[in-house]
Amino acid sequence: MSFLAPLFFLGLLTAGLPVVFHLIRRTTRERTPFSSLMFLAPTPPRLTQRSRLEHLLLLFLRCLAIALLGFGFARPFMKRAMAPPPNANAHRVLVLVDTSASMRRAGVWAEARHQVDSILQGASLLDQFALYTFDRQTKSLVGFNEWNAMPAGERAALASRKLAEQAPGWAGTQLGSALIQAAEVLAEPIGKSQASSGRIEVITDLQEGSHLEQLQGYEWPKGIEVAVHTVRGRNANNASLQLVSDEVDSDANKANDTRVRISNSPGSKREQFKVGWRNSDAGFVGQPVDVYVPAGQSRVVGLPIAPGIAADRIALEGDDEDFDNVVFAKPPEPIQLSVLYIGNDDPGNPRQGLYFLKRAFQETRRQTVEVVAAHPGEGITQAQLQGATICFVGSPVSNETAAALHDQVTAGKTVLAIPSGTGMESTLGKLLGTGSLAYQPIRPSNYAMLGELDFRHPLFAPFADPRYSDFTKIHFWAYSRLDPSGIPNARVLARFDSGDPALIEVPTGSGRVLILTSGWQPDSSQLALSSKFVPLLYSLLETSGAPSPLPAQYRIGDVVPLGPLTGSSSVTRTVRLPGGGQQNLDSAQTNFLETAVPGIYTVSAGGPAKTFVVNLDPSESRTSPIAVEELERLGVPMAQTASKVAADENRKVRFQNVELENRQKMWRWFIIGTILVLIIESWFGGRAARRVSPVASPAPG
Amino acid sequence: MRTDAGSRLPQSSLIDPKTLMSIRNLELRAKVVVEGFWSGIHRSPYHGFSAEFTEYRQYTPDDDPRYLDWRVFARSDRFFIKKFEDETNLRCYLLADQSRSMSYGSAGYSKAEYAGTLAATLAYFLYLQGDAVGLLTFDNEVREYLPARHRTGHLRHLMLALEKPSAGNATELGPPLKRIVEIVRKRSLIAMISDFLSPLDRLDRNLSALAASGHDVVVIQVLDPAELTFDFKSPAMFEDVESGKVLFIDPATARKEYLRKLTAHQEELRSTCRRLGVSWLEVSCDKPLELVLFDFLRERMQRGKSVQRFSRVLHHTTGQPMA
Repeated sequence: MSFLAPLFFLGLLTAGLPVVFHLIRRTTRERTPFSSLMFLAPTPPRLTQRSRLEHLLLLFLRCLAIALLGFGFARPFMKRAMAPPPNANAHRVLVLVDTSASMRRAGVWAEARHQVDSILQGASLLDQFALYTFDRQTKSLVGFNEWNAMPAGERAALASRKLAEQAPGWAGTQLGSALIQAAEVLAEPIGKSQASSGRIEVITDLQEGSHLEQLQGYEWPKGIEVAVHTVRGRNANNASLQLVSDEVDSDANKANDTRVRISNSPGSKREQFKVGWRNSDAGFVGQPVDVYVPAGQSRVVGLPIAPGIAADRIALEGDDEDFDNVVFAKPPEPIQLSVLYIGNDDPGNPRQGLYFLKRAFQETRRQTVEVVAAHPGEGITQAQLQGATICFVGSPVSNETAAALHDQVTAGKTVLAIPSGTGMESTLGKLLGTGSLAYQPIRPSNYAMLGELDFRHPLFAPFADPRYSDFTKIHFWAYSRLDPSGIPNARVLARFDSGDPALIEVPTGSGRVLILTSGWQPDSSQLALSSKFVPLLYSLLETSGAPSPLPAQYRIGDVVPLGPLTGSSSVTRTVRLPGGGQQNLDSAQTNFLETAVPGIYTVSAGGPAKTFVVNLDPSESRTSPIAVEELERLGVPMAQTASKVAADENRKVRFQNVELENRQKMWRWFIIGTILVLIIESWFGGRAARRVSPVASPAPG
Repeated sequence: MRTDAGSRLPQSSLIDPKTLMSIRNLELRAKVVVEGFWSGIHRSPYHGFSAEFTEYRQYTPDDDPRYLDWRVFARSDRFFIKKFEDETNLRCYLLADQSRSMSYGSAGYSKAEYAGTLAATLAYFLYLQGDAVGLLTFDNEVREYLPARHRTGHLRHLMLALEKPSAGNATELGPPLKRIVEIVRKRSLIAMISDFLSPLDRLDRNLSALAASGHDVVVIQVLDPAELTFDFKSPAMFEDVESGKVLFIDPATARKEYLRKLTAHQEELRSTCRRLGVSWLEVSCDKPLELVLFDFLRERMQRGKSVQRFSRVLHHTTGQPMA
């Protein structure tokens, strides 16, 4: 028999009370009148002088009543054999070790390895372990299959050895995606049966810049839980250095100082730092700048580059953790683009299209777009045609020019033809490789509007947002009506409200021909004056294969497209790495992937060498730890601690006991027993009271 | 003063108080006792007390014209009052305690009943002798007062007053004594019947005032046998019948202390009486009333002798007789 509330057995102590009451001489309730109490003093109740208990049966009944009541309140129940616990399946544990740059801090990596070792040591023979590392990407060191293939006694040692070969890299932390990948690895069924449970043991410094946002909305597979083992660095002090903008000006103009942000971690005890340019790992070049940054704050300072001194990096001194104390800075080289306009327009005439085209492409530090105007009557060189990213044809051209343009289109170029006025039928036909293409100039009575645009097309995709998708404010006074059905493969990208096509795309060979049925000059439309004109041109430029501007710096792990750097992709390129090594890339590789180390990379492809800068992910410098509860908030199923598991088990047992007790309700029998005993006791008590004379009357003298 | 008068009286003629109290009429009870008393002793101890001529006194205004001697007036044409015919020898005032403490009784009748019967017996006895008997009943204050008279019907009034039940919550001996001093100017016999179960601190002063007034004072203390022995067996809640106060008392342990205190109280009362020249009789309620009457009379006779001796001594000393 078990009891739900055994504390009530303390009430059994009160069973001693009847014994005491039986020892106390009973205070009679009868009153004896007496003439005067002036000679009398009250007698205190006292235990009988004899230690003999009277009315033993009554005493027994009273003690029994109290005992039964105590038993009843203790909620007794009979324990039945519990259902045996389900056979515990072997656990599948995926150990996920953080190898991001923030793990380079002093003592962190050693602590992480120690924790991994202790987890691996705890593996039983049935358990299946996998060892993964993650930074920006997740990498498998030991998979489940590999673990199973290893000799049972050496699995932990082998896995530990594999981890020892690893070291923290320079990449940022993508904990969110790593967890998702790990969960998906665990969720994969193994063999015939689905794994009953799986656990992800994450060893990380759980820094602020861990990028957990991917976990939002992720639906975790059932049976998977995550245990986080946080490792802490020896130092709470960490200051970091970041370039404020992507622009680093090459000229030593004072107004164009390179601006860097120095951030100090919240728990830092250091506040005084030096920032300056360097050209190697040791020693500042020129005078460093003293910066005072209190803990948890940041400061932005401008760093001038001394004229005539070559310096390629900015360094921070005064910080305990130096993994994020250097940023490499190098001015980007602008990309030269060329746009060819073939027409009779006067560049200075504001009523003609060329005037607006020249002004639409502004020169920036990253990109220079040159608008080359060519008269159709003059000879247009092949070099002009080849160098142009896009060709605008606003006037009828000669057959030769049209054929050359057609060749360029077939090779991949984009040509935009504007059939305004008359005489373009033949040119259009030559461009498209068909016969003459007839069109009819239309001048609407009022004006025409763009009524239907294909926002799924890359050209209009930037305008797909409802905030920018209203083209109806652009009025068109005149356009050319074309029948697209006569053009093979033609796709109408925009129509006027009358249903006539406004922009037609005709893929030809590798390139395409675009036909804009109305000009942008004020005589034809308000397009050039609208806010859509410049974005539309840049969108046209991008969709025509123009390389995007190069960023001032790349982050570790970024893919660096080599096209903008080296131009033609038919040459074998060599990339010199910051550490001194070099990597040869064949012509098929258009991107450079091995941006594993911060520094300046140099790409050479026969011509002048180009450089690009790879820096640390700035979020990696946010080393303040976040609470594990943040993961719980994001819906990560956290594993319970041992004490919580024990508490849960206790609670479960207690619930089972309560359920059993509720079913059996043995307390009722004890209460009934108590009532019966009390009835018998009352009967005996009454009989005993009748036997005893109430109060002895005074003896007559 | 405790007496063993029973030795002088034949025991067979004595009436058990319990039997006596079964007679409801108080006057009858008194009559039975007095007649039994007479039949027991066969002769009166008071001869020559009957009315005799004492003197003539000239009539003065306010005298009762009923007592004029018309024969002398016829002879001498002057008014004289013949005093001896109607006035008695003795004025007796009975002071009866009717407080609640007197309502206690363990023998089937209360102390008040016993004391009332005793007072009635004395009154009847004295009435038969032609003495004037007055009554004052009291508890914590004076309840009833009847002046001392010897008239037809007076005894009846007296009996009615004595039959009234006990009422007061306390026994105060001071007020009745003070009152009697104020009222009674002529020398009288004053018999105070009470249990005297109250503090005696002021009794001394009041009794001395009474004695100093020339009155002959007899203190008759009536106590229940249970009060004298405290012979209770079981512990019980004892309730004071006067105040209602309740105490748990175990007689086995409390008896000794009770008897000690009671003895001390009695001794204090007796010494007070002795000091003031007051007669003191302690009467237990189970004592036949004839014996009490006998003790009273014997005490009176002894008292009379001592007074005579005392007055002669005083006469020789001062040259003046006592009033």
